[in-house]
Amino acid sequence: MDSLRQEKIQKFEEFVDRRLKPDLVHAIVERDKIFDQQKIFSDLRKNIENLEKNSVTSLRTLVNLGSEVYMQAEVPDTQRIFVDVGLGFHVEFTWSEALKFISLREEKLERQIEEYTRLIASIKAQIKMVCEGIRELLQIPEEKTVEGRVF
Amino acid sequence: MGKSEVKGTVTSLSSMFPAEETQKAAKMVEEKLSEKQNEMNQLKEFIADNTSLINLVQKLPDELHHDIMVPFGKAAFFPGRLIHTNEFLVLLGESYYTERTAKQTVEILKRRGKSLESKVDALKAVMQDLKAEASFFDSTASEAAEGLVEIREYEEDNSTKWASQSGSLELETPSVAEADNKMGASEDDDYARIMSRLEELEKEELAAEDNEENLEDEDEDANAVESDSNEDELTKAAEGDGDEDELTKPAFHRKKDEGYSYLDHGQRYSESPRKQLQQFNDKEPIEEMSNKYKHQDLTNQFASTGLTEEPVTKGEISHGRIIQEDTKTLSPSINASAPFEKKSVQTSKSEFDSSKAFTGSIVEHTQNLDKSSVGTNTTSLQSSGSQPSKPVSRFKMQRK
Repeated sequence: MDSLRQEKIQKFEEFVDRRLKPDLVHAIVERDKIFDQQKIFSDLRKNIENLEKNSVTSLRTLVNLGSEVYMQAEVPDTQRIFVDVGLGFHVEFTWSEALKFISLREEKLERQIEEYTRLIASIKAQIKMVCEGIRELLQIPEEKTVEGRVF
Repeated sequence: MGKSEVKGTVTSLSSMFPAEETQKAAKMVEEKLSEKQNEMNQLKEFIADNTSLINLVQKLPDELHHDIMVPFGKAAFFPGRLIHTNEFLVLLGESYYTERTAKQTVEILKRRGKSLESKVDALKAVMQDLKAEASFFDSTASEAAEGLVEIREYEEDNSTKWASQSGSLELETPSVAEADNKMGASEDDDYARIMSRLEELEKEELAAEDNEENLEDEDEDANAVESDSNEDELTKAAEGDGDEDELTKPAFHRKKDEGYSYLDHGQRYSESPRKQLQQFNDKEPIEEMSNKYKHQDLTNQFASTGLTEEPVTKGEISHGRIIQEDTKTLSPSINASAPFEKKSVQTSKSEFDSSKAFTGSIVEHTQNLDKSSVGTNTTSLQSSGSQPSKPVSRFKMQRK
């Protein structure tokens, strides 16, 4: 009986280590990427709103030529802005159009993030279940849930 | 010789260096190697970026303005133009920037490129070391798997002064025995002729060594006299073919005791004479060889004394003196050596390390002899075996 148990326990552990944990890591990595994208777009939106607020028509910036070597650049007309819409395309927008697009984009990203969050939560739940199963097999007493005072 | 006894042990190589462990070690070295390879690739990328940037910086001042798309964050562009095309803001590190012209920027970038290249070179050297390690482990693993056997023979002389040397002798004789196991059969014919000549010289050597031992505690003058007498023997022997080999080789074998780092050089020295003995029995190559060795003798003496921190009284130091004092330093140094280096077998692995550790004349010698020894190194660990300090034991092996 013990050997059977040991086998089962080992199988469970292997399952957790080989499938569930890497899946979890993978999902977290993907979600982080989308977080980054979201941040980029929200920064862009804030910048455009700033430009609009201050009615900035021309701009001077420092452009990175590579290896942190910068050169001055001038933007004579800030009315036209080209935004990356994915698949390597950049669309010419006015400020207001750009802002609309960015808000749409941000919504889409939020939905993606939610999906990934759900996936991550389910994987974590599965891991916990398997651990519980192992605990039962080993007949280790259950951990007591911390009970706060209920008023 | 009548007064020495021979004891022996036979140990399977796989017991000393278990196949699994060597394979694991080989894997670890391979992992390190791949890490270094990744670093190398990264550095090469940096260098490529640097050169392309240099080109760009050189081209930009050609125009007053350049029309470009100016990035605005990571997801948007503005159409615009580059202005002040000769002014570059360069990051020096630690949030320090400097405004430079195109020429000055190019100079900065070139200096960066040089430092990158030196890093790449250093990394290449490290990778070569690792590769040598890996090949060493691979060969060890395959040999252990084949079930090679290491035969050790111990010689005990009646004189007590040689007692400390027996430790080192043990270290050296096994590799010789192993080498003989592999090489002896084919070379017996060649040796036969030389053996007779060398036997006579062996006796002379023993007598000379015994004399040196007895006089070890006396004044330096006495030692100098002995060394002179040794030199006389050497010079006398210089006229004969085998004589030279006989005397210079033992001199080298003794030199090997002087420091384990020199064992490698000693190995090579002893290897090539043996090889040459086998291959050419002419006078000229042997004479050249011995001349080379003599020269190397001196340099070894000079260099080794620095290593072993022993008082160098005069240019020519008595061989016996060096042996006795150095073998004592040898044994502890060998005991302290890293396990994988297998000092007991004095493998080709240590050759690579030591050649990197020391500079100057020693490196030259190793490079000279490297070509001859490389072939032997690849054959097997044991075949790179060193010669014993005493010519007696080696010739005894060969006779068998």
